[in-house]
Amino acid sequence: MPTAYPLPKNLSPATVANTASLIRIVALALISGAAIASRLFAVINFESIIHEFDPWFNYRATRVLAAKGFYEFWNWFDPTAWYPLGRVVGGTVYPGLMATSGVIYNLLHAINLPVDIRNICVLLAPGFSALTAWATYMFTKEMKDASAGLLAAAFIGIVPGYISRSVAGSYDNEAIAIFLLMFTFYTWIKALKQGSALFGTIAAVTYFYMVAAWGGYAFITNMIPLHALVLILMGRFSSRLYVAYSSWYAIGTLASMQVPFVGFQPVKTSEHMAALGVFGLLQIVAFAQLVRSHISSQQFQRLLVAGVVSIGVLGALAFVLLTYKGWIAPWTGRFYSLWDTGYAKKYIPIIASVSEHQPTAWPSFFMDLQFLIFLFPAGVILCFRELRDEHLFVIIYAAVASYFAGVMVRLMLTLTPVVCVTSAVALSTLLDTFIDPIEPEITDDAQSESGASTTSSVPGTNGAASTAPTATSAAASKKAKKAAPAASSEPGLKLSDVFASSTVKTSRPRGIYGLDTRVMIVFNTTLVLAFFVSHCTWVTSSAYSSPSVVLASTNPDGSQHIIDDFREAYYWLRQNTPEDAVVMSWWDYGYQIAGMADRPTLVDNNTWNNTHIATVGKAMSSSEEVAYPILRKHDVSYILVIFGGLIGYSGDDINKFLWMVRIAQGVWPDEIQEPNYFTPQGEYKVDDSASPAMKNSLMYKMSYYRFAELFGGNPGQDRVRQQQVPKVGPTLDYLDEAFTSENWIVRIYEVKKEDPLGRDLKSANAFAHGKKRKRSKPAPRRRAIV
Amino acid sequence: MHWRSLRFLFLGLVAPALASPGPSFENTAIVRTVDLGGSVVHVTTTYAIKATKPGAKVYTIALGLEEKEKTSWLEVKVKGQQEPLELEHYPLDSSRNFHLADVKLPKALALNASLNLVLETLQTHATTPYPKEASQKEDQALKYSTDLFVLSPYHTGVQRTKLKALTPRIISHTTPANVQEFILDAPATKQGATVTYGPYNDIPASTNEKFIKAHQQPITAHYFHEQPVLEIADLKRSAEISHWGNNLNIEDNLVLHNAGPSLKGHFSRLEHQSQAFFKRAAPHALPALTLHLPPGISNTYYYDLVGNVSTSHLRVAPAAPKGQRSNRYSVLELRPRYPILGGWNYSFTLGWDAPLSDSAVYDRKTGRYIVEVPILTPVPGAVVNKAELSIVLPEGATDVEFSPPFPALENRLSTHTTYLDSTGRPKLTFEYENLTVMHAQSIFVSYKVPLAAHLTKPFVVSVAFFSVFVLAIVTRRINLTIHKEKTL
Repeated sequence: MPTAYPLPKNLSPATVANTASLIRIVALALISGAAIASRLFAVINFESIIHEFDPWFNYRATRVLAAKGFYEFWNWFDPTAWYPLGRVVGGTVYPGLMATSGVIYNLLHAINLPVDIRNICVLLAPGFSALTAWATYMFTKEMKDASAGLLAAAFIGIVPGYISRSVAGSYDNEAIAIFLLMFTFYTWIKALKQGSALFGTIAAVTYFYMVAAWGGYAFITNMIPLHALVLILMGRFSSRLYVAYSSWYAIGTLASMQVPFVGFQPVKTSEHMAALGVFGLLQIVAFAQLVRSHISSQQFQRLLVAGVVSIGVLGALAFVLLTYKGWIAPWTGRFYSLWDTGYAKKYIPIIASVSEHQPTAWPSFFMDLQFLIFLFPAGVILCFRELRDEHLFVIIYAAVASYFAGVMVRLMLTLTPVVCVTSAVALSTLLDTFIDPIEPEITDDAQSESGASTTSSVPGTNGAASTAPTATSAAASKKAKKAAPAASSEPGLKLSDVFASSTVKTSRPRGIYGLDTRVMIVFNTTLVLAFFVSHCTWVTSSAYSSPSVVLASTNPDGSQHIIDDFREAYYWLRQNTPEDAVVMSWWDYGYQIAGMADRPTLVDNNTWNNTHIATVGKAMSSSEEVAYPILRKHDVSYILVIFGGLIGYSGDDINKFLWMVRIAQGVWPDEIQEPNYFTPQGEYKVDDSASPAMKNSLMYKMSYYRFAELFGGNPGQDRVRQQQVPKVGPTLDYLDEAFTSENWIVRIYEVKKEDPLGRDLKSANAFAHGKKRKRSKPAPRRRAIV
Repeated sequence: MHWRSLRFLFLGLVAPALASPGPSFENTAIVRTVDLGGSVVHVTTTYAIKATKPGAKVYTIALGLEEKEKTSWLEVKVKGQQEPLELEHYPLDSSRNFHLADVKLPKALALNASLNLVLETLQTHATTPYPKEASQKEDQALKYSTDLFVLSPYHTGVQRTKLKALTPRIISHTTPANVQEFILDAPATKQGATVTYGPYNDIPASTNEKFIKAHQQPITAHYFHEQPVLEIADLKRSAEISHWGNNLNIEDNLVLHNAGPSLKGHFSRLEHQSQAFFKRAAPHALPALTLHLPPGISNTYYYDLVGNVSTSHLRVAPAAPKGQRSNRYSVLELRPRYPILGGWNYSFTLGWDAPLSDSAVYDRKTGRYIVEVPILTPVPGAVVNKAELSIVLPEGATDVEFSPPFPALENRLSTHTTYLDSTGRPKLTFEYENLTVMHAQSIFVSYKVPLAAHLTKPFVVSVAFFSVFVLAIVTRRINLTIHKEKTL
């Protein structure tokens, strides 16, 4: 057998197997190391700190769990959130994440490693990303082989699409959910392949874990039934499918109902009905199989038609009836917004106001996945070559996740694993083809001519490209072009297999000749992979590793300067205000205030009560006189606003202000109207030409209070909106400035108590400043609050 | 510790009886100088004494009861000498208005021999802000009160009290009444930054109700103070000794409180920034602290409840050569997250690692380690209201002994379990109140660590790893399948 390059002789198969196994283990260990290390940028550049908004709640909850134990956490009623309503935390969270950290915490403490709970929370996501790499390896191994698995593990380890949600400090549900997703899918495939009730049960248990950990579990709840349904429709029903699905569904659903936040949803809401329906269908199909094995085929035909029709009609009717009666909840708004991207903006502005719920911009596909996005279709095509049951799963997964990733930025996360898997399959097929040392034998005698012609007509890559150009190659880049068709030219078979089994199977031996082609392809692929690594590193370090609690800028001398206004203000609140002082802010900062300042908040990132949020929106967007009774009725002591005008921090409250107006308008359309906040020309202005409603709004006043004075007579410049602020800034009658952070990003105001003399605060303030009261128009006496 | 207090008790009962047969001294002059400060007031009283009987060896000093309560540190020396004299306190008697203590003179005085004694005390919480509130633009004024006369069981020739402020801006001071019999001219004079009471001549022995009732009176000075009045409400220091790591880790948890006049109205950043710009910072705002840490430290950390504070600078001095004491310090400029204005709090954690060899020695003869642990790192001008020092000794340390520079309110020995421990480490805890810069001394702890205890840690860790591997080996070799699986 001719080989392109010399192979070592006299190696025993055991040595080869052992070496391969060792290399696999070492590679996986290194991949895990890389996955963890690349997520530590945030810790190295900044510090071991919880990021962003939601993680602060998770962290706070975990601390309760670690300090007081699981039962306390389970029954935890938090009176400080959603003041004065409170929040039943135990019943409204997915406790998986906190429980995981709690278990790790207790375990470490049990073996005398008293690690701080914060460090456990910060490092949980990187730790689980290593497990995700392993789960992806196992999953891809089922698809193709171990080498594809290793590639997939490496991809998922460093791909920015996944890192974006799992850097150190990003202590969110997704941190463990992607591992659970991949592991559930792996066990499902395993269960399906072997018809194993054991693996089905493991799938159910991990599914339960997933349900406890992330709201996105609905993706599994629908993916597995969809896969099962497609298998049935393709006539691939088998007892293996029956065993796997039934054990997964029965145990998984019962287990998932143990999570209080989920409760009876698996039998009551539409999102879960597909799983139930497929479960029912499987029973029917299985029964039909049983019947068919006992009766003649003609009778069976008739029975089948009648049975299928009647059961289908009955099932649909029952579903409609149950939905109509309200026993099954109809689709939720979030669900509709998955199909109609404009839906949320119209009906649920609170969902639309979150940036991660926006449709994905196309560059972010490249940013998050780089060359994987080009290999992805090739990998899917390769799945069609063999089309085993598990390949079908990947194909469905790819189609569904592609759609969702296009609808919502956030769902890019669910697309990433399947992209890694399919890309790994594609790339590994390519490498298998080109690294394989065996050259096709040039057959002698009769076939020499055709052989020779093949040789001449198939010079390396060009020949490969000409053999099977596919539709995908047109869309893909130049590099991917080489990869995809070259890979698809080998129909999922290893050359070695072909040549090992029979020297000449077809009339034209196919394969790669010579070393040059091989070197070229392998070199190119290595280059692409190297670029991928550097891209991932760059994206991770520059885009995804900012805690957003701490901002970084650069000093003139190039050293890093930390802008730490948020923590400054939160810590001031924590140390210098009464413990029961209620802080009002826009909901974005609710979790952070609760976590860092440890003070009650009116609204937070768990946006469950739209009216309450709208109340805050109304207070922020109306004038002082209107807002004051609202503030007093809600016991608000302090108001916190974020203002970026001084240093140009664009994520501030004035930029979010229109959402507050919109949400308030949704509840009080008569009092708050969005157009009032624009200039007559329809511009959003904060300078002299700003509309009266804008200038009188609490938000505007609090943001720009005494801001113009900072410029000492010169016109003040708002560096976010690039507008000049009015020279005479707004005045406050009902509020007092209590604290402003170093760069003015966070401004805290105290709500004044009622005037002891019963005067209107406005006139009291005017009196204090020595202004004469106008005789003509006496100030209205404010009525006492009942 | 108990035997010592017992001895006090005993002497307290016996000493008055011994001292009773007529005074053996007289004070030619007493000069008291009070350095008016913020939370700590430094009082120096110089007694020029003359023996009226030969062989007198014990001199008794007296403090007013209120003064005694404020005093957190007290030391008597012969003027010009470094060694403090031994002091024995009388038991506190609340029925009397004064407190007595005996000073053991270095040698018995001959008849008419004279000696100058210096009594230094530090008073804490002796000043009160007045007015109680100050806005950001206003000055900070404090009031300090003390008794007019320095009490003494002996006859005093002449007595003066000087109140010295840091700046000449003294708003007011009390003019004592009812002292005509002692004075020649004005009862109190103010000159620059000093208010002088006296000289008062020919004062009889004053440790009796009669004199106190007739003449003792409070005097008050009201003055501007240009440094923030700082209190450390709570200090928890833990020192952890590691022989394996050659490391002494010290971690302080501090709750800082600005005890000056509380902020009137609200904090305005604009005001604060313009004050900083024009270099006219409010006297009661604390923007930053400078601390002196030991030389040769590493891994210094400064964080609070919400994470790392990135606004500090540290200049580390190199460690002293072995066997020598370095008089250089690492300087830490520590900026709280926000300026601490009157009445505000700020809590933070500060810690560092120091080479253990700088503060520990091993005595080959007795086989004991002796480690020096500083009780606190002084925060300039601040008083520590409550302090708790815990010293974590290495695992397996036995025969623990310690010698404190001054007695603690309470001390106890417990067990502390931390990283890679199997049996836990002995932990000494000391509790203190009202510590000042003078209390920044060291506790010396000595203990024995047998070799076996040194080796416990690596042994436990290797056993743990080994058992994991064994477990893995065993589980790999157990086959639980019921059916023989098809080969994959």
